[in-house]
Amino acid sequence: MKGIRGISKLSVTKLPSGLMIASLDNYFPASRIGVFVKAGCRYESPENQGVTHLLRLAANLTTKGASAFRICRGVEAVGGSLGVTSSRENMIYSVDCLRDHIDTVMEYLINVTTAPEFRPWEVSDLTPRVKMDKALAAQTPQMGVIEGVHGAAYKNALSNSLYCPDYMVGQVNADHMHNFIQNNFTSARMALVGLGVDHNVLKQVGEQFLNIRSGMGTAGTKAQYRGGEVRVQNGSSLVHSVVVSEGAAVGTDEAMAFSVLQHVLGAGPHVKRGSNPTSKLFQGVAKATADPFDASAFNSNYSDSGLFGVYTISQSAAAGDVIKAAISQVKAVTGGVSEADLTRAKTQLKAEYLMSLESSEGLLDAMGLQALSGGVYHSPEAIAQKIDSVSATDVANAANKFVSGKKSMASSGNLIKTPFVDEI
Amino acid sequence: MASRAPANQILTANYLTLILAYHTAATGRLLVGFRKWYYNAAGFNKIGLMRDDTIHEDSDVKEALRRLPEKVYNDRMFRLKRALDLSMKQAVMPKEQWTQYEEDVHYLEPYLEEVIRERKEVEEWSKK
Repeated sequence: MKGIRGISKLSVTKLPSGLMIASLDNYFPASRIGVFVKAGCRYESPENQGVTHLLRLAANLTTKGASAFRICRGVEAVGGSLGVTSSRENMIYSVDCLRDHIDTVMEYLINVTTAPEFRPWEVSDLTPRVKMDKALAAQTPQMGVIEGVHGAAYKNALSNSLYCPDYMVGQVNADHMHNFIQNNFTSARMALVGLGVDHNVLKQVGEQFLNIRSGMGTAGTKAQYRGGEVRVQNGSSLVHSVVVSEGAAVGTDEAMAFSVLQHVLGAGPHVKRGSNPTSKLFQGVAKATADPFDASAFNSNYSDSGLFGVYTISQSAAAGDVIKAAISQVKAVTGGVSEADLTRAKTQLKAEYLMSLESSEGLLDAMGLQALSGGVYHSPEAIAQKIDSVSATDVANAANKFVSGKKSMASSGNLIKTPFVDEI
Repeated sequence: MASRAPANQILTANYLTLILAYHTAATGRLLVGFRKWYYNAAGFNKIGLMRDDTIHEDSDVKEALRRLPEKVYNDRMFRLKRALDLSMKQAVMPKEQWTQYEEDVHYLEPYLEEVIRERKEVEEWSKK
């Protein structure tokens, strides 16, 4: 990262307890600190399904050092913000505020991640917020379909939903949360990352406060892909459907090939209300139906597995045609992809990655996730080189893996004309 | 605490005020004896109640009661129902079953202190 607009070099340290510390000064007026933990919903056990959803909502609850009221007002008083994001693999607690007040919010961040009290009445007061979250998620069909495909594709770990299941709403209690934190928020699975914070300060904080739970905690289980189908029949005239096959794990060369393939096929429009001319999926499906539709390639990578496929939105009568047209476009790529398309896709992928690093959040996320997954930081130049080294054969092989792999499917809407997974 | 004057239990109010007044005093043998006498004179132990069952329910106490663990809350409800029943019958418990000074558990005190501390914190912040 040296030399770009004079920002300082990225420093990475690994403490003896296993905690990773990374910091970078990009000389922005606002600083940002994140605690990254490998404690996403894949680490939930059958007894505590939904605990990560509650933890996401519990970031502002009373800790040993500060009451809930004080955390809220204290963070507001310095104009900062405290938030938590969680994915299937990781939980990210982050704070940001102006440089001068970063100590105040850092104290709250450490309190929240290491010493939450989870008072029983505060935890039960979270139940309405859980219900609200689930209601909001139910409003978007995409959420239901993506959670559904993960539930159908995997037997364990990655099949856990990001949201608390219905039968656990109101049943997840403080003990579940304490146990989950005890077993999963261990130093070896955490990374403390700062933007615009002194590295030595972070090291001190890491050594003093984030060392209370050492070791690896409960080992996660390896995700087992099984390939299944979930169909949710409802009255919607738009059918959302995703067909996937097992993809590649994060960091592998295959994952890079899948990312390039995703952009060869089309990963969302680049021009608003444009005709999406560079998306193979879009152009292919446009020949199969005159009704409005959307088609894009779906790609997600996890530490030991991944999913790759196509996501389509279509009118319910045309659903079968749209899905089959989209899949045949992927089949067409197995025969080879032109140089022009390959270069175009690589450029789009590079642009997307580099633009995500432009914002503080994107940069912090990238640093944190790389620190968590191995401690080796790949500079944007190195990543751009890796993208360039993907060959047309790699992309064709990736497409082949999708075509020949066991498929998983999730659909929602009026499914009368939607094919089953074995009919595609 | 003087503002927490329950409707009919004047003695209980005085009991609580006195306890606080002597709170910091050394608990010599004489004082413990006096407190035991006063506890029995207050009379709520005759209908099977504990001290915290008789506390006047203002907003702080209501919030503290909301936070009680389920078992403690259910026990409190049972004792109150039993006392209401006895009061209706104008009866008292048999002498063996009167709550003893040593058995009395101030179960609500930690929750109440926390509620008051939180309220004071909010008031402090509002002043700023």
